[in-house]
Amino acid sequence: MAFIQTEKLTYNYEGNLVPAVKEVSLSFEKGSYTAIIGHNGSGKSTLAKLLCGIFTPTGGKVFIDGMDSSDEEKQENIREKCGMVFQNPDNQIVSSVVEEDVAFAPENLGVEPKEIRKRVDDALAAVGMTEYAHHSAYKLSGGQKQRVAIAGILAMNPDCIVFDEATAMLDPAGRREISAAMNELNKRGITVITVTHHMNEAAMADRIVVMNKGEVAMDGTPREVFARVDELRSLSLAVPQVTELLYDLGLPEALHASEAADIIQKEIEKKCH
Amino acid sequence: MLKDITLGQFFPGRSLLHRTDARIKIILLAVFLVFVLCAKSAAAFTFVAVCTAVLVIISAIPLKTIIKSLKPLMFVLIFTAVINLFFANGEDILLQWKFIKIYREGIENAIKMVVRLTCLVTGTSVLLTYTTSPLDLTDGIERLLTPLKHIGVPVHDFAMMMSIALRFIPTLIEETDKIISAQKARGADFESGNLFSRAKALIPILVPLFVSAYRRAFELAEAMECRCYRSGVGKTRMKVIKTRPADYIFLGISVVCCVGIFFLNQVVIPF
Ligand SMILES: Nc1ncnc2c1ncn2[C@@H]1O[C@H](COP(=O)(O)OP(=O)(O)OP(=O)(O)O)[C@@H](O)[C@H]1O
Ligand SMILES: [Mg+2]
Repeated sequence: MAFIQTEKLTYNYEGNLVPAVKEVSLSFEKGSYTAIIGHNGSGKSTLAKLLCGIFTPTGGKVFIDGMDSSDEEKQENIREKCGMVFQNPDNQIVSSVVEEDVAFAPENLGVEPKEIRKRVDDALAAVGMTEYAHHSAYKLSGGQKQRVAIAGILAMNPDCIVFDEATAMLDPAGRREISAAMNELNKRGITVITVTHHMNEAAMADRIVVMNKGEVAMDGTPREVFARVDELRSLSLAVPQVTELLYDLGLPEALHASEAADIIQKEIEKKCH
Repeated sequence: MLKDITLGQFFPGRSLLHRTDARIKIILLAVFLVFVLCAKSAAAFTFVAVCTAVLVIISAIPLKTIIKSLKPLMFVLIFTAVINLFFANGEDILLQWKFIKIYREGIENAIKMVVRLTCLVTGTSVLLTYTTSPLDLTDGIERLLTPLKHIGVPVHDFAMMMSIALRFIPTLIEETDKIISAQKARGADFESGNLFSRAKALIPILVPLFVSAYRRAFELAEAMECRCYRSGVGKTRMKVIKTRPADYIFLGISVVCCVGIFFLNQVVIPF
């Protein structure tokens, strides 16, 4: 069984006629890096919360490291295994002091004081915030706050972190900081699932899941998904700008600027000969 | 404008007051407040002012910050001073101009009120909020109230609520500022009109503020749950709080100082 596995996962908010997530069957391997994209209201956030056990499914099942998230007794273990970073950094910081905020989760878990200290130091180092350990959290920049939020989750020693539009409220510099942190975490073996509206960020993942009206519309590597430009457009989604440019020029697809530059150069050389 | 409010803010530091056990600081604050309110004679007031000054000095909080924190209070201070000055009755008339009479007692009362309010606010900030991190504060309150747990009072939840409230003061102040600017940009007028129309002008600020605070509370609850929050069951602390001998000495000195006020109240120093 994969690290996170869903079987016909369905979630219906109370009072809604159509479910926000409909019969989704997906699996996420340990150490994988997945981006979830989709237009507003397509059920991405709902899916993200289901994947880390904050919501219990109204239909179907989610297994996180083999544990059924509908099982009340397993909930605590699931929370510890799978953390979530939200969009607004202000609304997930509990304490005014950076290191105390990072210590919040291990304190709740009843970890030994010495071990908490070590985890907090490690987590802050992992996101490059060691020098801010004693600062007031609310005076930090958006990107720094979000890195503190990530450290707060890391201190639980989770196997998986789900990011729900964690870069949406940040400026380009902050976005780069967080993307870099995600990459770094993935290299350390943490399973990363990120919900995003930024196609360049999605292109950095190993796999993209496209959601539409609560269902999975596409699932594949960034190259496979972004090759289907027309389909994505019909789902009111964009592809990375370079990909779109080459597509409109009728050239082979590329995900990154450098790749695109090579293709265009070759094309020009061909034309000149 | 609202940014000046430093109420409930914590300034990290390593001063003696920062390192004192939060429980001791809470007890001290209670004692301090009682004695500030009990002070009557001029000698007692001088003493209270000196005590507050000493607290400020050992807290190592910059004087600028303290003065800034008093700014929003300026209106209240001036108002009480004026009321006391003009409406007090006494025997010694110092100044008389038409129907305005200023008595010596009036001046005395005005000065006392200003000193009392200033010391109350400065003392509370310096003793507790400026020098105690919210989590320490939560912990302190929780430990002090532990006996109440036995009669079913949710002490931990109460303490957590309080520390979160403190943590969100700067965030909500910033938000209020933004809403005010946004409403001004839409032509809202907060500065003119009578008291009633001004109060009515606050509605377009309060409604979005409440909506947003509600949304924040909801998201925060989710984030806390995600970080395994379970109302303090089986919780440990990163920093183990130990009451050191220095704490007790500090407590002792302060209690002696406060008791001193009782005696100083008896001393009458003529102005
Ligand atoms: N708390 C709620 N109560 C009722 N319905 C909700 C609630 N939250 C979301 N929904 C509905 O569920 C559907 C999916 O919402 P969801 O937040 O998962 O979308 P999303 O893909 O994350 O959108 P966005 O890109 O805007 O974040 C939407 O139709 C929304 O109206
Ligand atoms: Mg969402």
